[in-house]
Amino acid sequence: MPDNGHADRLGMEIAMENQVDYGKIERNAKRRETVRKTITYILLAFWAVVVLFPFYWMILSSVKSYSAYNSEYIPKMYTLSPTLQNYADAFTAVPLARYFTNTLIFTVLTTAIMLVVITLAAFAFARLEFKGKNILFVLFLSLMMIPNELVIITNYVTITNLNMRNTFQGLILPSITSVFYIYLLKENFEQIPDSLYYAAKVDGTSDLKYLLRVMIPISKPTLITITILKVIECWNSYVWPRLITDDENYYLVSNGIQEIRENGFGRENIPAMMAAVVVISVPLIVLFLIFRKKVMEGVSRGGTKG
Amino acid sequence: MMKKLKNSSWKAFLYLLPAILFLGFFMVYPLIDVFVYSFEEGYNSASQTFYGVGMYNYSYVLHDPYFLQAVKNTFILVIITVPLSTGLALLISVGLSSIRALKNLFQTVYFLPYVTNTLAVGLVFMILFKKTAYSDGLINLFLHWFGAGPVDFIDGPYWAKMFVLCFYTVWIVMPFKILILTSALSSVNPQYYQAAKVDGTSKMRTFFRITLPMISPMIFYLVITGFIGAFKAYSDAVALFGTNLNAAGMNTIVGYVYDMLYGDSGGYPSYASAAAILLFAIVLTITCINLLISKKKVQY
Amino acid sequence: MRNVWKKLVCSILLPVLALGSLLSLTGCHGAKGMKAFVIPEHFDMDRDYEITFWAKNDTNKTQTAIYEQAINDFETLYPNITVNMRLYTDYGKIYNDVITNISTNTTPNICITYPDHIATYLTGVNLVVPLDALMTDAQYGLGGSEVRFDAPTVNEIIPKFLEECYIGDHYYAMPYMRSSEACYINKTYVEALGYTIPEELTWDFIWEVSEAAMAQDADGNYLVNGQKVMIPFIYKSTDNMMIQMLKQKGAGYSTQDGEIQVFNDTTEELLYTIAEHAKTGAFSTFKISSYPANFLNAGQCIFAIDSTAGATWMGSNAPLLDIAEDKIVDFEVEVKAIPQFDPAHPQMISQGPSVCIFNKNDPQEVLASWLFVQYLLTNEVQTAYAETEGYVPVTSKAQDSAEYQDYLARCGEDDNTHYDVKIKATKLLLAHIDDTFVTPVFSGSASLRDAAGQLIENTVKSIRRGQTVDHAYIEQLYSDMNSLYRLDQLSSGNGVPGAGKEDLGKLPGTAVILLSSLAVAWVLIILYVVWQIIRKKKAQTGG
Repeated sequence: MPDNGHADRLGMEIAMENQVDYGKIERNAKRRETVRKTITYILLAFWAVVVLFPFYWMILSSVKSYSAYNSEYIPKMYTLSPTLQNYADAFTAVPLARYFTNTLIFTVLTTAIMLVVITLAAFAFARLEFKGKNILFVLFLSLMMIPNELVIITNYVTITNLNMRNTFQGLILPSITSVFYIYLLKENFEQIPDSLYYAAKVDGTSDLKYLLRVMIPISKPTLITITILKVIECWNSYVWPRLITDDENYYLVSNGIQEIRENGFGRENIPAMMAAVVVISVPLIVLFLIFRKKVMEGVSRGGTKG
Repeated sequence: MMKKLKNSSWKAFLYLLPAILFLGFFMVYPLIDVFVYSFEEGYNSASQTFYGVGMYNYSYVLHDPYFLQAVKNTFILVIITVPLSTGLALLISVGLSSIRALKNLFQTVYFLPYVTNTLAVGLVFMILFKKTAYSDGLINLFLHWFGAGPVDFIDGPYWAKMFVLCFYTVWIVMPFKILILTSALSSVNPQYYQAAKVDGTSKMRTFFRITLPMISPMIFYLVITGFIGAFKAYSDAVALFGTNLNAAGMNTIVGYVYDMLYGDSGGYPSYASAAAILLFAIVLTITCINLLISKKKVQY
Repeated sequence: MRNVWKKLVCSILLPVLALGSLLSLTGCHGAKGMKAFVIPEHFDMDRDYEITFWAKNDTNKTQTAIYEQAINDFETLYPNITVNMRLYTDYGKIYNDVITNISTNTTPNICITYPDHIATYLTGVNLVVPLDALMTDAQYGLGGSEVRFDAPTVNEIIPKFLEECYIGDHYYAMPYMRSSEACYINKTYVEALGYTIPEELTWDFIWEVSEAAMAQDADGNYLVNGQKVMIPFIYKSTDNMMIQMLKQKGAGYSTQDGEIQVFNDTTEELLYTIAEHAKTGAFSTFKISSYPANFLNAGQCIFAIDSTAGATWMGSNAPLLDIAEDKIVDFEVEVKAIPQFDPAHPQMISQGPSVCIFNKNDPQEVLASWLFVQYLLTNEVQTAYAETEGYVPVTSKAQDSAEYQDYLARCGEDDNTHYDVKIKATKLLLAHIDDTFVTPVFSGSASLRDAAGQLIENTVKSIRRGQTVDHAYIEQLYSDMNSLYRLDQLSSGNGVPGAGKEDLGKLPGTAVILLSSLAVAWVLIILYVVWQIIRKKKAQTGG
């Protein structure tokens, strides 16, 4: 006859051991978790420093005075006598405010016209039926693969022949086209259920009214995405403005900065050049910080759609 | 009640007209024109004459050591930055997804490079890395702490210049990738994770067997766009090394096209066109390969 | 009915349009030459003219003011002519812009240029106006009867400067200003090192003193100036450096026919010497280190070689300064001619802006441009502009004028208009006008000049990177420069660019790899796609 008491005691011992095991496992897991979290935070913090450091250096250099900057054989990570002289220099030596305004005008006009053009085109592809629709769309898609650099050569000759160098028209017109955004918007339009359209048709609404009253409001998030992407693209535009503007009054910020760096005070006066760089970078950063959520949502949506 | 509006053809045409006009004038026409240019041999802007029609332009460009150097530079840039940035972005996104505190702060910080002008920030990188008569530059200071000698990253040996270019390119493209990947990660159905946890799967296995395949379409999208974007690198190099990229040996294919068109030796749109078409061929090939691979690999 | 109509339109119209545009495009790429310029009988004063003038100034506000004053005065004399000026700080940019504007027929009317550049412009048909007939015209020529201001006659232009603008068989430009290069020396430091500056500088002297200046103390401060930075010898324009060194040695650079001789053994020897001194850090260039003036004024350079025009920036009391005030070091400046290999027969380059006129369809417009060019040669403009920097007026009329002679005499009176370094540099050039030379001008000579300079730049850069400069390196360098500046397009020997497309030889390795990988990739892609299609078909039929 088995000794049940012994088995019970054994059982209890095993149970107690198991309990200890659980405790230990939990503690181990917690420790691993903490270690993992710490490592994650360290990694994230490291990259955050890498991202932020150039900005810090930019601002730091822009407030160091010219002679102080040049006499630092070992660059200092701080400055004891910050000065705003560089900003004054940057604005007076070159028409920095002008570059700014130009870029603003360029960005706003290009984005506005682009929105009109692609909304119409996306609507046609998404909603209207017509002969050769698929072929045309495939053609459009294939145009997406053409790199900008290929067409720049001829566009330059075209714009010069039309006497539009050093004008806003010359800057804006070739920059409007973008098949990617048509594609993006079309996809979005196609998500709007047919029933809405037919209901509107029954009411006797014209296509245009339907587009304006119904589709655009529904697609607002995508439109915001496209706007944001285009704005950033315009702000960064360098090759095209560089090619067709040689009049200082029509420079955009990117080729303006490059001019300063190559031929202007930026050759020698690094702090002043940094001041110019800060001035150029600040607006978009401020805009971004204000509309942070919208911007990030918009860009991610644009990316995931593609 | 499924009325199909047949006679909307003209209306559609009207809607499409602005897009067709812009695209036709600024994309299709130039494409054909560039093709024509590339076959007009040795067309020179000053004299406005060319030898004849043939493949001389392509031959010239392929013999030009500066074009080949640009091809080498571009390829190295692509091969290094695309996997590196995608991998790093993946790592960071995974890290971001697993924490709660400070997540928003980190995300905001990481996104900053995307909203700045790449040329402007490139200048900051240039002064950080450049060694002048007055100072060795900040990065060299860091290196000094580790006992390494001062390296001139901007005017120095090829590997140093390539390093700066790759580093800067990665720095620039990270925000977009991190953002895409974090949103992709957050869109994975948590049920899969719960099922895995119940099964007692280790974290590593979960990652490789569940997470990765679920976000693989996004990863492939990033790789494809990363490749295409890296092939078109130009303004980053200009920001770091100035416009005379040929002399610095750091030209990219796009830079070569541009220099041929407008550079110090006068305009040769013919050579520029030939080089541009070669670039297009390369990008097309790689995109096709990428598409085929992604069609195969992306299955879940 | 409608459908059929549409079908017709689509299937016929579109291809026709496409074909038409294609054909019209090929027609677009061709020379659209203009008719040769013929002087009109009479300058039509009833019409209004608007002419564009692309000018160069050296970031010197005074020069801009002089241009604007000249334009104002000219417009007062000729109220029906408006001159629109666009300023550049770099000759190369004017060159680039003109070339890109040739194909679109939007060249300026007048631009500041070098004869080298004009040679390239001349490859276009009737692009640049030959000035012979204009110069000697009785009414509108130099000092002609109908000219409303006191312009110099042909004889009153210094012949040597005028000859430099003779290209081929015509005068295609008028000289505007002339300068040369000079060596600005920190006399205080030279004497501190125990040397005395000789009458005529030699290259050996400069190398010797520069090497002596490299002595440092235990902390890494240079003994001669107590600072951490010292580059004893900085040369601004390395292209001039190479050209002048070769000329002084009597070695080949180029010929009038466009034959390129610069890649020779003397060049190699010179590059070795330069490499040797770059290695110790005794020599550097503007492109690598920055403006010689800035280093000189901060006491960090002893021999700064720059244009005589650059004299306005040289010295502790210079009127124009680019560095921070507290960095300026006090020292005595001496101005000498550039170093020579043979001090008994000095040779130095002659440089400086010239002005050319572009042909337009309207000969009256060209005539109006010519009148403005003439105005630039009047005494007022010549003396005013020459006094801004170390330039020399190109007319004997201006040079001998009382005002200019007075200016020269008041050397050192103040640190502005009569800044002594500037006037000394000018006097240097005036004394050596007969020792100056120019390089042969042909289409592509501008590129050749850049190549010559780049030889030195690359050598110094490679030394700084720790590479060895030996014969193999020089061979590679020669070949690289040939490609970079497309000199192979010129060496066909008759100066016309690419008179023959030459046989380029075998494809280099990388190109072969590129092309073959592209080909292989496409073969694989097509095979793969075909395989997929076959597999799908099999699955359909098999299933």
